[in-house]
Amino acid sequence: MEVNVLKLELGYIFIKDIQFAEQSKVENGTLYVNKEDVKALILEDQNFKSADVELARPGESIRIIPVKDVIEPRVKVEGPGGIFPGMISKVETVGSGKTNVLKGAAVVTTGKIVGFQEGIIDMKGPGAEYTPFSKLNNLVLKCEPIDGLKQHEHEKALRFAGYKVAEYLGNLAKSLTPDEVHTFETPSLTEGLKLYPDLPRVAYVLMLQSQGLMHDTYVYGVDAKKSLTTMIYPTEIMDGAIVSGNCVSACDKNTTYHHLNNPVIQDLFEQHGKTLNFVCVIISNENVYLADKERSSNWSAKLAELLGVDGVIVSEEGFGNPDTDLIMNCKKIESKGIKTVLITDEYAGRDGTSQSLADADAKANAVVSGGNANEVIELPPMDKVIGHPEVVDTIAGGFDGSLHDDGSITAELQVITGATNEMGFNRLSAR
Amino acid sequence: MLKVVHYINQFFANIGGEEMAHVPAEIREGIVGPGLAFKQAFGDEAEIVATVVCGDSYFNENMEKAKKDIIEMVKKYNPDIFIAGPAFNAGRYGVACGTIAQAVKDELKIPVLTGMYEENPGADMFKNSIYIVSTKNSAAGMRKAVKTMAPLALKLAKEEKIGSSAEEGYMPNGKRVNFYEKDRGSKRAVKMLLNKLNGKPFTTEFPMPDFDRVPPNPPVKDITKATIALVTSGGIVPKGNPDHIESSSASKYGKYDIDGVMDLTEETFQTAHGGYDPVYANEDPDRVLPVDIMREFEKEGKIGKLYRYFYATVGNGTAVKNAKAFAEKYAKELKADGVDAVILTST
Amino acid sequence: MIITNNDLVYSKLKDDYNILYIDGSFRDVLVKTRDKVHAGYELLTHPLSSSLKPNETPYKSVIISDKKGKLNFNSVYIIEDAIIEYDKFNMNIIKKISEKIRKDFKLIDLTVLESALNINY
Repeated sequence: MEVNVLKLELGYIFIKDIQFAEQSKVENGTLYVNKEDVKALILEDQNFKSADVELARPGESIRIIPVKDVIEPRVKVEGPGGIFPGMISKVETVGSGKTNVLKGAAVVTTGKIVGFQEGIIDMKGPGAEYTPFSKLNNLVLKCEPIDGLKQHEHEKALRFAGYKVAEYLGNLAKSLTPDEVHTFETPSLTEGLKLYPDLPRVAYVLMLQSQGLMHDTYVYGVDAKKSLTTMIYPTEIMDGAIVSGNCVSACDKNTTYHHLNNPVIQDLFEQHGKTLNFVCVIISNENVYLADKERSSNWSAKLAELLGVDGVIVSEEGFGNPDTDLIMNCKKIESKGIKTVLITDEYAGRDGTSQSLADADAKANAVVSGGNANEVIELPPMDKVIGHPEVVDTIAGGFDGSLHDDGSITAELQVITGATNEMGFNRLSAR
Repeated sequence: MLKVVHYINQFFANIGGEEMAHVPAEIREGIVGPGLAFKQAFGDEAEIVATVVCGDSYFNENMEKAKKDIIEMVKKYNPDIFIAGPAFNAGRYGVACGTIAQAVKDELKIPVLTGMYEENPGADMFKNSIYIVSTKNSAAGMRKAVKTMAPLALKLAKEEKIGSSAEEGYMPNGKRVNFYEKDRGSKRAVKMLLNKLNGKPFTTEFPMPDFDRVPPNPPVKDITKATIALVTSGGIVPKGNPDHIESSSASKYGKYDIDGVMDLTEETFQTAHGGYDPVYANEDPDRVLPVDIMREFEKEGKIGKLYRYFYATVGNGTAVKNAKAFAEKYAKELKADGVDAVILTST
Repeated sequence: MIITNNDLVYSKLKDDYNILYIDGSFRDVLVKTRDKVHAGYELLTHPLSSSLKPNETPYKSVIISDKKGKLNFNSVYIIEDAIIEYDKFNMNIIKKISEKIRKDFKLIDLTVLESALNINY
């Protein structure tokens, strides 16, 4: 056993199709799901009075709306802990050993927790281009809450339903041989210095939305708004240490799928040991209280300095006030002599001429953009809508008259789940 | 075939260099000089039907007449697009290209395109209102410039949708346009960080706006004893504008003595500013530079005294660089002369 | 002091906090906050809280200091930038919102405010 190195082997089992069947299993690249088993699993939570499950495959003329979360099925094969520690598994530290992934599949939760809605996924057409989830074989959960259920209880129930079903599907892959194995190793600080003495040392500051109902993120089950800035191994995140309770601003909120597949982590690992030493991940929240913002960003800068890193990538989540956290993190880290690159999206108005960010500073001289979320797009009607189509008018980026009689939609890019993701998940940008 | 009218200066028309920069505007049939490169790039999609040739000095010193004459010339050919330059790093050529392209766009309502080096003063002046392709800083970059300008010109002429500045090659013009990069954002971020760490050049995808915040000074301790100076970018100058401060893109400022002057009048002062209707400022220049009020305050003991000189320039399209430079000069002199505070007027 | 146009916030918190209730729009709340900041009150929460856009939710609550002091420039920049940000959004498209949805927006505004006040719902 290697000491001083945290190693995780992710085994990808490629899923090319999803079908309902008598018995849930994975065979020859197809995910077979017993509908009744999944429904029963959801209804274990007595906060739901009914549940339904549907399929949405790439290329099908299907629109899913409103989308709450997207989760990738994973399972621990070897090593301590279970997927989604502190949520549906115990709090044991994850991130090492072996984890299998149903690559190409996802669980999508939908539901009217509140009247205004978030998130569209079109599986075909121009809308499909903007979201990564149109390329996945999705199991869509529609769950009706019991009457009078409070919104925060509904949100929690739906969130857990998603994890439970993802766990159920993930378990189907536990004893399968992966099609591809990707190995990720993070050495301890001293071990890393020994292994890569000449490589620049880099950390990743991952900012997490943390502002209240439908705006929350959980780390090992802890509400991020209650946490001081801290450090975490990148592979812990691959095992679901960070999950999303954030449903607002479909285009730039991070779904649980985004956390599991954090692209900054993947791309830093790609270069790890070659052009840089990927030291660790610093997680920092985005609270509303200004003093919290100061405290959290002071802490990020302090940790980056203590770790002795040379450079940092900072990714943001959400709109408006998080731009303040982003700029604070940037300024304070740069003032320690540590170089930063920021990833954000833009709200430059429908004509693209407005100021893109709510805050700015000359020190933020290296920025990657996920695109202008105010761009107006036209979505053609889809043959099938899973969810509640009439809510488009009240979705962020939608407006009175957004939903046309023929089922087509005129709305801002904001409405599409994951469209302008600020982890840099997509290729969309703006100039 | 789409019709193009091209604008070049005396140098690219092979008339001569600086010594021939005074030649007035003229129009010639067909292609002259670099138009040939455009012709080759256009293939059979477009042709240059005429070329305007104008000396850079002539244009800049006779701007209104030059614009009027050239627009008449261009009008006759009824082109689908007007292309000026590229001007690379030649400042007056760049300003001429931008100015004439803007004028053609405004008067004749046809698409226009020009090209120049990003530091050419014409770039900052016009990039937000017309498309300007970013070129190298010398004519050695002609081939590359034409390679970018020609396809964009065709698109403009055909009224096709224009993509982002990164895709089409024009200078970012303050209008953000979405497009797809080759790599995902996180990969671009890692590349950018490695370049930044290794001291290699990198280009940010979102340039921060320049807020240029100046922390305010503490308030004047005793205003009744203070010497206050008037400074203006509203263009108030002695009648006749003896220093020839330009009505726009001012390249200079003036320092004027108002010792004994209690009031500015129509006979003694005027405005040189070309960016607002001058009637009321000419009738009573105190409206922009309130000398009369300041003298009243002096008399009433409300201020210590009005400083003997005032500084003036025209803030119409003034290059930020120039504005900063002037202000640094004023500030040094004002401070040396014991001025406590400044009232800055603009329009 | 809490400046708000959300009557749910007012009714729930009026006994425990100093609340300045504005019978007006989201923008009116921002402008009032700006006026207070100019008068020397300090901004305690970011006025663009939550990811709900200005042309989506009609409700906004902001926390400022109870007492005024010296002008806090950081507060000035933040509130003025927030108003600029607000004005970017096309208000022509604000929807006729049903009563049920109004209630939901009020709730989100309240919960986000409470997350700053450290109250658990």
